[in-house]
Amino acid sequence: MRESVIMKIHYGTALASVALVAVHILFRLTQGFAESLQYESVIANYEFLPYAGMLEIILILLSIHGFNGLRVILLELKQGPTFEKSVSYGCIAAMALIILYGSRTIFMTSMGMV
Amino acid sequence: MAKVDENKEGIKGMVNPTRYGIERFAYLLMRLTGLGLLAYFVAHIYETSNILRGKVGWQEFLAITQTPEGHIILAIVIGMSVFHTVNGIRVMLGHGGIGVGKPARPDYPYAPQSQNARHKIAIYSSIVLAALAMMYGLAVMFGE
Repeated sequence: MRESVIMKIHYGTALASVALVAVHILFRLTQGFAESLQYESVIANYEFLPYAGMLEIILILLSIHGFNGLRVILLELKQGPTFEKSVSYGCIAAMALIILYGSRTIFMTSMGMV
Repeated sequence: MAKVDENKEGIKGMVNPTRYGIERFAYLLMRLTGLGLLAYFVAHIYETSNILRGKVGWQEFLAITQTPEGHIILAIVIGMSVFHTVNGIRVMLGHGGIGVGKPARPDYPYAPQSQNARHKIAIYSSIVLAALAMMYGLAVMFGE
């Protein structure tokens, strides 16, 4: 994929994340920070499907943005065909792992499997 | 007499904002905050997965994170995210050609058109906003 397209994805995921993370933080503040972290409150948040869906979208957006950012930083430090391929595939693998691990939490909790 | 080579100051020379300007400092801070936020994001994914351990497991983990030290770390994360967001928007606008000035003949002292007052104000604003957000976060966390 061309770097110009990757940067457009990087900026797009950044802007979308800002909007959705703002909603995520507002949920914590409107309920009271300490109360919103109580077990029952967290479970209720996950069982509210639109919110769980939003968490899944945030997870995907931030994983893409974060690991692409890491890839860019590493490629600024060192270049070379082998290094660049290793960094790119390593970041894609780490991104996929984080998405899978986070999705497991969201799906199991929202489906009442806790 | 010891020979001083300005190119051999290493990281100390790189982070010095007085030599290369605030733009270079913002460049470095953008990367540092990005790495810090990625580390927090991965830790947050692990932290929230503790909900699968049930009520006792969740409260055990909450007892570790909901401490004064945990609140201070979270306040630093708030500051990093606000700086990264505001400075990121500045960078995006700059990449889109907004606020970078018009091309002009390079005259002495060869100040680049893109490194103008608008961008400097935006960088300082992002640092001030990050500090304000940190203070607000601390007030919310320690106020309860």
